[in-house]
Amino acid sequence: MIRTIEVLFVIIIISGAFIGASYLAVLPTPRQVSPVNLNRLSLTTLQMLDSDYDLSRAAFETDNSTVLGQLQVALSASLPPNVMYNLTVYDVNNQDGQLYSAVANISNAQNLGMTSDISTYTVASSNVTFNIIPQKIGDNGVGGTLYILNCSDANGWWITGYTAQSLAQDLYNLLSPYFVQTIMVQNTTQLRELLDNQTISGSTNERVQNAVVINTFGECVPMPQEYYQGQSRASQGYDSNALNGYNYVKYEYTLGSFVRQYNWTWASIVGYPFYYVSNTGVFSNDQNGWGIYGMKMTSTGGSKAFLEGLNNQNYVYDSGAVTDSASRQVTFTSNVIGLSNYYGIYPAIYQTSTRALSTSTLSGYNLRVALGVFNPSGDYLAGAVYNHVAAGSNDTTGSFLALGLTRTPDVRVTALSLLSYYLPRLYPSEYIAAGTSREVVLQLGLAGGS
Amino acid sequence: MGSATIDHMVSLIVFIAAIMIFIGVFSQPIQTAIVYESHRALSTKNSDLLDTILLNPGINATWGIDGTVPTGFGLQDPEFIQYQLSPFSTMRLCCSTGNLVEYDKTSHSVYYENDTLVFGSALVTPLAEALNYSTALSLLGINNTYGFQFSLTPDITVSVMENQAASPLTLSITATGIGFPFANAPINYCLLQVTMPQNETNYPSYCIQSGVVQTDQQGKAVLTFPSITDPNQVYAFIAYAHSDGVVGVGFRTRVSSINEQSVVPLVEDIASQKIALVHSYDLNNSGPNGFSLKYNTTFVVMKQDYTLSELSLGSLNGAGSVGIVSSGVGNPYPTISLPTCTTGIVIVTYQQDGSTQGGIVMMPWGINSLALPVTFGGNPAGQNWVTTDIRQVTVGGIAYQAKLSLWSSNGNGVAG
Repeated sequence: MIRTIEVLFVIIIISGAFIGASYLAVLPTPRQVSPVNLNRLSLTTLQMLDSDYDLSRAAFETDNSTVLGQLQVALSASLPPNVMYNLTVYDVNNQDGQLYSAVANISNAQNLGMTSDISTYTVASSNVTFNIIPQKIGDNGVGGTLYILNCSDANGWWITGYTAQSLAQDLYNLLSPYFVQTIMVQNTTQLRELLDNQTISGSTNERVQNAVVINTFGECVPMPQEYYQGQSRASQGYDSNALNGYNYVKYEYTLGSFVRQYNWTWASIVGYPFYYVSNTGVFSNDQNGWGIYGMKMTSTGGSKAFLEGLNNQNYVYDSGAVTDSASRQVTFTSNVIGLSNYYGIYPAIYQTSTRALSTSTLSGYNLRVALGVFNPSGDYLAGAVYNHVAAGSNDTTGSFLALGLTRTPDVRVTALSLLSYYLPRLYPSEYIAAGTSREVVLQLGLAGGS
Repeated sequence: MGSATIDHMVSLIVFIAAIMIFIGVFSQPIQTAIVYESHRALSTKNSDLLDTILLNPGINATWGIDGTVPTGFGLQDPEFIQYQLSPFSTMRLCCSTGNLVEYDKTSHSVYYENDTLVFGSALVTPLAEALNYSTALSLLGINNTYGFQFSLTPDITVSVMENQAASPLTLSITATGIGFPFANAPINYCLLQVTMPQNETNYPSYCIQSGVVQTDQQGKAVLTFPSITDPNQVYAFIAYAHSDGVVGVGFRTRVSSINEQSVVPLVEDIASQKIALVHSYDLNNSGPNGFSLKYNTTFVVMKQDYTLSELSLGSLNGAGSVGIVSSGVGNPYPTISLPTCTTGIVIVTYQQDGSTQGGIVMMPWGINSLALPVTFGGNPAGQNWVTTDIRQVTVGGIAYQAKLSLWSSNGNGVAG
């Protein structure tokens, strides 16, 4: 009998456990089982309301009942009818020890039901200007001077549709914030002074050594008149033995020598580099074969002469080409695409190249690819910064940015290439500032019961 | 001894019986809890899946416009961030609400027609280039485990009705949000008034009349056009209702044709933006041969101030943007190429040869241009448990609600 009584006790205990478990273990309501993600709905609603910056405007016009009314209409219209909302605008400040203070509230219900969720969204006043201060190239005391060739007494080629002067101005606007000193080289006389290691601006920040020189004249290079045949420096500019009248290849050799000597970074913005020389005074009766007077062709040998000078070789006339003329669609390297976002410069990712430089040819002049601007196409590189590192040395003595794109030039490619090479940092100003930011909090709930 | 044995036997039987009963009783809530837990997981999966679809452009990112089959499914506009969807990727979804249309003169032969638009506008895309449901399931990695239906519904419904057909034409516009009338909202409108020339050598054309009106507290506005006195005047009317980043589009067209023939713009190839202009009699071989229509085609884009701007068109087979299209075998069909991958509206005015009867049709290039809704995927009807989740998105500046319904292919139901 006692066993039966014990079993009855066991049954009573288990029954108690079941009742207790049933009482405590309440199953969730279907709404809780499969909830709408109110947090994400809230966030996407705020983003949509601010897609034209209307929410940002309304958040700073909380005294304007019309603006707030429109915001409420848009909010009500875009949310499903069973969704209740409570939108609160907070002013972000650091006064009185209180970081957030509510300044406006709109709602379509007194309470938000059984479940609710929120998202927050920070908006900025349209009156606030957020500055970005770039690091200056050369602020460590080395280099930092950008020379842009803007010579009024020279003509350009393969820059059709532009003038060298307009390109120079665009480059100035794009790049001057990043350099300690940016100087326009206004004529070939100033260019000659530069070649003589003389400063031309009177600024104490100007340094010829380690400077960057951008040639805005396309395939043509301005030439000071002293290098003209019969003039004082003709021996450095004129080769009487060069073929087909390409006598001024010697000037390109001299330029290459100075690039090495001053450790310049020479930038060629389009086409075949050093294909012509120009001076509207001394070449007034010469034209490039296409009707542009004031210039003289040095042809394919121009680049070779420049590279000889850069590589500190003896001058030997060489008419060999450093490019072919194949048309290639080229794309920026992923590195440059990323930096395009960083610097906010957006040339088209796809470009057409017809004067891509042969990498193997350039390597014969001790040039190393320091930055690939475009992805290579076989042996050919449509754009790159090359460093000249002499055999047996680890030091860079002169650099060369060659963009073998077809005409007409997009100077944004030049600017992006140089910035990608020097990598100056950008310092944004403080985002959260008293009275300039507001926090919008949207709380959503579902109407009805479970 | 005997009573102890009986006591043992009785107690054992009662104990076993009680245990059996309790196992049965406990298993009921435990089963339900397990099923509820799987539903909770389904809901979480739904939210994740919806964000996956909305926050990545797919692989490759330009599959919406280059005609390729993606290797990863996503609808985000590759040129933007956050919840902004590509008007072209969404256009390539094979909508579950569409009809199939047969057109023998092109290489694709079978086309898909989105029938969610009203008469006077259609989006007919090649079935071969549409992304179907089973492919999307595979790309999302949920083949045989989940089923889904994805829908995009415009937040703002702008409906346009004729209060008075002529003298003057009076239109009533109603803008309604998902949950509330779109009250006191500006509506920018464009009326495209079509001129049917008497001269045989000229083609139908249109002029645009633009303006702004504001809705009242009920989201309604009324417009009159005194210049329209003919009840057979052909026109198209497009209205943009907008306020605080929420933008909706509505439209209405009127034709004067006494029979059903019309010109239908048909997307022949998405990658090359090639549009075929076909005679409606040739669709599904629905009419006789030899009927001709003069047409004039333009492509307009919406500017930031909600006015329309025309872009030039290219022709692929020398037909140009104006010409004649005839029904029947042996009669060639003209094609045009859209200028860029910009969203816009292809507008075709047409006129029956030798008469002043005609009409106007519009084809959205990108679903946002005429606020085309999209429903893609399986049918949730009959499934045991369907979870839904929603987001607010924009497609080419037009506000949409994106909704994903998800269910388990294993069919877990709620017990009890």
